[in-house]
Amino acid sequence: MSKKWLLLSVILTAFLAACGNTQSNESDFSEVTEQSWSDIENAADGTTVRLFMWGGDEGINQYIDEWAAPRLKENYGITLERVPMETAEILQKLQTEKQAGKKDGTIDIIWLNGENFKNAKENELLAGSFVDMLPNFQEYYDTDDPAFQTDFGTATEGMEAPWGKVQFVFHYDQSKIETPPSSFEELKNWVEKNPGEFIYPNAEDFTGNAFLRHVLYAQDEQPSDIYEQPLDEEDISGTADKLWNYLNEMKPNLWRNGEHYPNTLTELDRLYSQGEVSMTMGYNEARAESLIDEGVFPETTRSFVMEPGSIGNTHFLSIPFNSPNSEGALTTINFMLSPEAQLAKLKPNYWGENTPISLDKLPKEMREKFESVERGESVLSQQKLEESFLPESEAGYVEWIQDQWFNEVVQQ
Amino acid sequence: MKLFNNKSVYLLIPALLFLLLPLYGFFAAIVQSLSGGSGWTLEYYSSLFESSRFLSAIWFSIRTTLIATILSLIIGVLITRSFYPYLEHHVPRLLVWLPMLFPHFVWGYMIILLLSETGLAAQLLVEAGVITDSSAFPIWTRDPQGIGIIITYIWKEVPFVILMLLPVYSSIKPGYYDLVETLGGSKVRQFTAVEWPAIFPVLMEIALIVFSFTISAYEVPALMGTTFPEMISVLSYEWFYGSGWEDRPMAFAAMVSLSLLILAFSAAGFSILQKKRWRAMRGRSV
Repeated sequence: MSKKWLLLSVILTAFLAACGNTQSNESDFSEVTEQSWSDIENAADGTTVRLFMWGGDEGINQYIDEWAAPRLKENYGITLERVPMETAEILQKLQTEKQAGKKDGTIDIIWLNGENFKNAKENELLAGSFVDMLPNFQEYYDTDDPAFQTDFGTATEGMEAPWGKVQFVFHYDQSKIETPPSSFEELKNWVEKNPGEFIYPNAEDFTGNAFLRHVLYAQDEQPSDIYEQPLDEEDISGTADKLWNYLNEMKPNLWRNGEHYPNTLTELDRLYSQGEVSMTMGYNEARAESLIDEGVFPETTRSFVMEPGSIGNTHFLSIPFNSPNSEGALTTINFMLSPEAQLAKLKPNYWGENTPISLDKLPKEMREKFESVERGESVLSQQKLEESFLPESEAGYVEWIQDQWFNEVVQQ
Repeated sequence: MKLFNNKSVYLLIPALLFLLLPLYGFFAAIVQSLSGGSGWTLEYYSSLFESSRFLSAIWFSIRTTLIATILSLIIGVLITRSFYPYLEHHVPRLLVWLPMLFPHFVWGYMIILLLSETGLAAQLLVEAGVITDSSAFPIWTRDPQGIGIIITYIWKEVPFVILMLLPVYSSIKPGYYDLVETLGGSKVRQFTAVEWPAIFPVLMEIALIVFSFTISAYEVPALMGTTFPEMISVLSYEWFYGSGWEDRPMAFAAMVSLSLLILAFSAAGFSILQKKRWRAMRGRSV
């Protein structure tokens, strides 16, 4: 019997050994970034660039496929292939490739921020620093903006380029609710008066977690106490108690008495569109526009933000450590940051998403084009959004809320 | 060298080649669940078995899976023995097997469209005046009892049970039934004396297949499950893809524990089948 096991373990060990070596690609990437920009663009001509990104939004997909890809082909000779994949799975793929020592990957660009960026950076899955060499970034962006220097508290170190900016808003149906709550205290009272009409997604969900961070901010005397400091569980224990109290007091009046939290935002949106609940929410101030157009949301859908404010963040494009076409990736990212691409992204017909570009740095004509974009009736005014803007906290809070929420709220 | 002279070892080679990747995956999962910052550690397993979340997940998984498996078997046997003469014909047989064509995920969605609080069934009952409005419809999907998960699996697995049982039933000689009747045996006796010995080994195999699949599959509980309690596969997925990567060894430890549980169930099942009397009976009728 022992021989059979010996044979088996030899085979398995051989397999493991084959997967053990890892090599750094950093030197290759810095050779690429040392070239002049025109050399990079020339090298990118005629190549294929694979952009791996979350593909759950039709408007975003159409923006890439119908607006960006044809222009990249025309202007730079680059064929852009969009590959839809969950960001965490993209990182897992890279991690597996790194463990297997695969130097030539399949991914040229990834779209990420926050905890995903932190994981990618900590596990050395990214190529390196490149933002400062992008001509469009230098020309049209406020390069010292703290929103570009850190990403959920993690220093970006030039490893990712700002692509967009979003802010969290709540949605309600104007025909059902006259005046939406203006603070989290009012929200709780509203839920008490309208039992079963409100629910937020699971804390594992991106949107659900962001909702809980808002409540956390609201329970603290100064939201800046949270977002200016790394997570210290002892420091915030008082605020945390208030947070769980708030949620537990609200729980019996939630949809289905708080026994089931939607697993995804899509599930909550469906409840809202079927009229089971009267509010939904999302981490994109303009996302209701396309949903109204498609007939998913009622036309009377509007958005609102509450005191102390609404959390916003920047999201980024980055290049993985084993990109087979770094030149193409750099050229594509530079194009995505251009005023033309950002303007098309801001218009509501595709994506309708805010831009991280500095309007002051744009030529007058271009600036006017940006200012004249009508984002739609369900989108709050730029002024309202800016007034209520709150920065994101450190990525550690996300995980802390996930774990604690489960213990303190679900299992109670 | 006696081992390699034995021909049965060579029969293992195709199976081993086929299992190379899954076995490697399993081996790598064990390694990951046991390696700490420096060297080997059992800390992930000990924190796993101290975690009330894991314990309630594993209990919920076993309970839900056992209910779904046993009900599928009972319903499958009842349908097969009542209808097997008809099921020999092509059209009824295809009708019964229809649910097998759909992926589990699609089937789960159909159950939601059918049985959710605003689903088709609720709307029809409201139209018919049985219930006043759709909120009176019971919560059968995303419910804490796992009813939605159980319904989905039963609907999907019953055709599989029928598929496995049909050849057994068609091979039972009708003469055996007559024999029991002539000797004064009841209908129950016909089942226990003629059918049971023939179908028991097959039922055992089906039970193991359905149980192992159901307890570890992800998509149906992810779609039909609620926030708490959750199935073990959903919890492992969350640990694996959750925000930090520190929980990953926990996910591996949970899946390794689950694999060991399935192995234990299989070993128990096969040891029952290995008992001589079942082998003898099986040799006679199948």
